Amino acid sequence: MAHDEKLIQELKEKADIVRRNIFTIFDASQMGHPGGTMSLVEIVTALYFHHLKFDPKNCDWPERDRVVLSKAHSCEAIYAVLVEMGVLPKETLKTYYRYGSPLQGHADRWCTPGIDYSGGSLGQGLSFAIGMALAEKLKVLRQPPMENVAAAMPRFIQRYNPLYRTYSIVGDGECHEGQIWEAAMFATKYKLDNLINIVDYNKFSLDGPTNEVMLLEPFVEKWKSFGWYVVEVDGHDLRQLVDVFDLVCNLYGDGRPKCIIAHTVKGHGVPYWEAAHTHIGRGEDINRGVQEGRAKYGEV
Amino acid sequence: MVKFNEHVKIGDRAMAAEGINNGMIKAAEKNDRIIAVLEDMGFPGVSWFKENAPERVIECGIAEANGAVVAAGLAAEGFVPFIHSFAFAAVSRACNQIRQSILQDRFNVKILGREGAWGEPGISHNHIEIIGITRVMPNMVIVDPADIVEAEKAMVAIADYIGPVFVKIEASPPPLRIFTEDYPFDLGRAYTVKDGRDATIIATGYMLTEAILAAEILEKEGIDVRIINMSTLKPLDNEVVIRAAEETGAIVTAENASIIGGLGEAVATVLAENIPAPLIRVGIEDEFSQSGRITPEKDELRDHFGLGAEDVALSVKECIAKRERLKGRK
Repeated sequence: MAHDEKLIQELKEKADIVRRNIFTIFDASQMGHPGGTMSLVEIVTALYFHHLKFDPKNCDWPERDRVVLSKAHSCEAIYAVLVEMGVLPKETLKTYYRYGSPLQGHADRWCTPGIDYSGGSLGQGLSFAIGMALAEKLKVLRQPPMENVAAAMPRFIQRYNPLYRTYSIVGDGECHEGQIWEAAMFATKYKLDNLINIVDYNKFSLDGPTNEVMLLEPFVEKWKSFGWYVVEVDGHDLRQLVDVFDLVCNLYGDGRPKCIIAHTVKGHGVPYWEAAHTHIGRGEDINRGVQEGRAKYGEV
Repeated sequence: MVKFNEHVKIGDRAMAAEGINNGMIKAAEKNDRIIAVLEDMGFPGVSWFKENAPERVIECGIAEANGAVVAAGLAAEGFVPFIHSFAFAAVSRACNQIRQSILQDRFNVKILGREGAWGEPGISHNHIEIIGITRVMPNMVIVDPADIVEAEKAMVAIADYIGPVFVKIEASPPPLRIFTEDYPFDLGRAYTVKDGRDATIIATGYMLTEAILAAEILEKEGIDVRIINMSTLKPLDNEVVIRAAEETGAIVTAENASIIGGLGEAVATVLAENIPAPLIRVGIEDEFSQSGRITPEKDELRDHFGLGAEDVALSVKECIAKRERLKGRK
């Protein structure tokens, strides 16, 4: 069923709010990872404001969908979402990178409500997501059917929904890590069809174009050959994103882990950051981008 | 005849690893959230798991980095994963994974690392630096059980404890059976195996066996040595170290691991900060291990490293002499 245009428009507005929150974060902190954060905006917007089973009033809800941000340096995007959802007060945006702040430099499970994984060192998040997805399988295995969370639902719905789904968001650069491919093998072996891996394929890592730093291509074929269901989308097209999330969820039960390769642009939406492929920025790099971004998307 | 404290009765040699097996099964029977995470190196009590709870066996293959983080994810969901492999693989290969994904969030993952001492496989496998490596890791609890009885009890205790634990498992040589079945293992507490006035040996893991044999040698020479079993290396039982220094004034530490970062250094810190006392660290100097034949009668590597009972006894005498020299200086 196609989603109506109203939803897409609403999500577009949310994405702009998320961007404005991100600018506030960068403006106050004067440092951060604008490139990988901006490339994630639509992906996290579609996830949190439409797709996820996530209750901002109860972030520890046992049946919430898990989100493992493996590229934890792009946590600014999630922070911006969590503030807009009311999980964190608006003022916290200005405390990023500060001592004692709930907004740590890299996503941290114990400091920030709504964050499932403490990352920073890359290449590990997919394995962590696998642990969570595997735990879901074990939990369901142990539950008598009628005590299942979906007990009140008709049985055919139960069959097509896991207790929760686990989403991992990995960067293209971190796919150079061998552990990603150890994890890829593992997920197939354990038939983790409740696991959805989103690759933010923004084509640039810190030292240069991702495929020049170390050849990833043929990237889609690699995931396919590991036994994953792979689908490619434009990671900045909200309609494509909401549709692809529905698609991979509807395939639950096929015994395959899902990989969404989201083609994105590093620093998306801010011409200066896009042109410079800015991975990490400080001072002038940040200020110029924030100015351009605010001119385009307005202030909070 | 050496007189030992309560709960100690010296018996024949028995593999501590067998105690690990028994303890693992006991713990798994008691707590159905325990998951066996295999890294293609077998698992203690694996046949029990396969028979009684096959779904609780997760095989990761030779991919320790992934294994450690998958375990963390399971722990985040309330399961209690036990990882088992060689110490060099389960821990050192996955150091960064353990640091970020397990320790940072203090996830309830237990790591059982084999061959953290000298042994037949040689330089690559005998990971004598493992105590130093794990000791610097925040949130890590380190246990090195001394015998088959303590190994079993330690496994049950660490399963009850909520938080990350590293257990050093020694495949060879087999230690003496030291404790009785009613021995009360207390995680984080040292146990005084034998009282004594003249000096103290603080031993961990297999070296408790050599310490006990050393006490017999020393007894014949009229030296009454105290023996402390420091099976929990972190957090260290500082109190018992300070008391030993106060009451005996000469401390010898014994570990079958590198003396850099190991038990000896931990004890040295406690002494230096609280009650400076002469100390001799018996352990492996700053070098790698190698292959060698190990039987209860003849242990080529123990002799190579100078970690036998005679060596420990000699160090005790040296340490007492050191204490007396220092007294003279005052």
